[in-house]
Amino acid sequence: MTPPLYIALRFLLHRKRAFLLSLAGVVFGVAIFICTQAQTQGFAQHFINSTLGSNGSLILRSRFQPLGSGLPVPPKTQARRNKETQQRRYTEGITNAREIMRVSRQFSNVAACSPVLRGTLSARSGFENATVDLFGIDAPLHLQTTNLITQIVEGSFDDFRDNATSVIVGSKLAEILSVAAGDSLQLLSPSGDYWRFTVAAIARSGVGAIDSARIYSHAKIAQTLLQRPYAASMIIYKLRDPERAPELAQHFETLFQHDSASWQEREAANLQLFVMLRMSAAITVSLIILLAGFGIFNVLTMSVLSKVKEIAILRSMGYRRSDISAIFLWQGAMIAAAGAIIGCTVGALLTWGVSHIPIRVRGLLVADHFLVAWDWRHYFWATVLAVIAVVIASYVPARRAAHLPPVATLRGSSV
Amino acid sequence: MNHEVRLTCEGVERYLGEEESRVHALRGVSLTLEAGTVHAVVGPSGCGKSTLLYILGLLDQPDAGEVTIKSQRVSQLPDDELARKRNELIGFIFQFHFLLEDFTAQENVMIPMRRLGRLSEPEMLDRAGSLLDAVGLAAKRARPSRHLSGGEQQRVAIARALANDPEVILADEPTGNLDTKNSHRAFDLLQRIVQERGKALLLVTHNPEIAQLCDWTHAMEDGRIVQAHQR
Repeated sequence: MTPPLYIALRFLLHRKRAFLLSLAGVVFGVAIFICTQAQTQGFAQHFINSTLGSNGSLILRSRFQPLGSGLPVPPKTQARRNKETQQRRYTEGITNAREIMRVSRQFSNVAACSPVLRGTLSARSGFENATVDLFGIDAPLHLQTTNLITQIVEGSFDDFRDNATSVIVGSKLAEILSVAAGDSLQLLSPSGDYWRFTVAAIARSGVGAIDSARIYSHAKIAQTLLQRPYAASMIIYKLRDPERAPELAQHFETLFQHDSASWQEREAANLQLFVMLRMSAAITVSLIILLAGFGIFNVLTMSVLSKVKEIAILRSMGYRRSDISAIFLWQGAMIAAAGAIIGCTVGALLTWGVSHIPIRVRGLLVADHFLVAWDWRHYFWATVLAVIAVVIASYVPARRAAHLPPVATLRGSSV
Repeated sequence: MNHEVRLTCEGVERYLGEEESRVHALRGVSLTLEAGTVHAVVGPSGCGKSTLLYILGLLDQPDAGEVTIKSQRVSQLPDDELARKRNELIGFIFQFHFLLEDFTAQENVMIPMRRLGRLSEPEMLDRAGSLLDAVGLAAKRARPSRHLSGGEQQRVAIARALANDPEVILADEPTGNLDTKNSHRAFDLLQRIVQERGKALLLVTHNPEIAQLCDWTHAMEDGRIVQAHQR
């Protein structure tokens, strides 16, 4: 143990009340930072997992032809991409879905892909009506690509697979139409005919927009019902690394000449909302840590003022300015270290406690309790913030202590 | 007795204060301290005794003149080097003891040793114990210094000044805050240590009885040594 560390420890332990006050500020700031970040990221992560589980990481849609005469060169900037997107002629549907999927599977990041025929229809059950988003799917491929089977909350996926005239209904839509597994509902075709289907299962994805409108049917039935000449209006992809979806989407556009969108692009508005929430929480909590820093600044400044005599004694015994400075910086460091360790523990306990608070969310997200994310980065950044605040708060008093002239103190105390 | 020169100062000048309040505190002071000798500096308040002591103790720097310790000129050394010299070669004793109140007697004695860093923890404990034993405080080594009497605190300060076995001991009215009995006891202790261990001691005092017991007495007036006589 270095002499400044030894003396700092002794000084700190003899000012227990001031030490505990400073420590409490850091613990509070770190714990609240961790807890708020865990909550905001928890809801965002749940939304991302749910939307990826239902719609995949990447979607390939309508074919396009560039209106310009240039060769298809990958756009280098977002502005150029937007301009090129406006200069396209789109042809609805994917006519060579199987060929595109065969080529797509050659990419290492593609874990699975599945064709979907999508259309908007009216649904009727008893006296209830609703506009629905029909997904005509290839059941085995769709199971590989999405989490649909884990989303089933009532009925069975096997019943859907074995019965061509059955559907899976979103949980919120099922409530609107007042249907349960085993009931029947009718879908209105564009020609004006009602088609009767059996509800094989109810699915809950956790995303309000999906659960309140989506119906899954078999692809061939959907093609006949929607009267489409093509078997797929989009291909959805499950990626091994969803974070790299934007690069792959850009590559697929160039390769297949089909409109392609990553989940980041598709959910940009919602993701932006979560980012704003996290930033807002981070700023609020950073202010708490800053206030804790002011508290430490005051405590250490008072400590310097009350230890003027001791500083002069130490200087007279050969302690250097840097030793004196180190004594007060060590005090700050010990507050930061203890505050970070206790704060991280309290933050983890708070996060655990919050995750068990029952809450009924039925909107953008569907959840029955507070959602939290357990991420080591929250603890790391909370610690970094606390250390920065404490180092800044300790530096000024430490510098002041180092530059106190010992002779003035010694002279003042001698006659 | 070995009369090796431990510390000298030559033509030391020092001004204190700024502009109108500027005072010429030391006017060409010269002094030589030899091993095994005890020097007293006497004089009225404000004559420059403490200023001289702080300059000789490397806590303050002269505006002119030179301080030499063990044949090395030290006045213009960098602050860190001065601190190292202070730690290694000089022991301070102050009138008001200036112990760290929250530390025990033993911990106070160990503080200069910790800075020097030559001894291990057990060796420091052992040395602090023997120094406190030498000043008659072995039984109170674990007692916080604020719980010791004035005389006991001054003896701890003496033990602390000897912690790193310094060449020179500088004392600013070491008996000024003690009763007659304790004053003589503290001075006898210092004198014995100086003679037995070959140290040089310079003490500032207002006490004529103590001054008379010293080997040399230097009388100061208006920043000058006006008279110096050997006992």
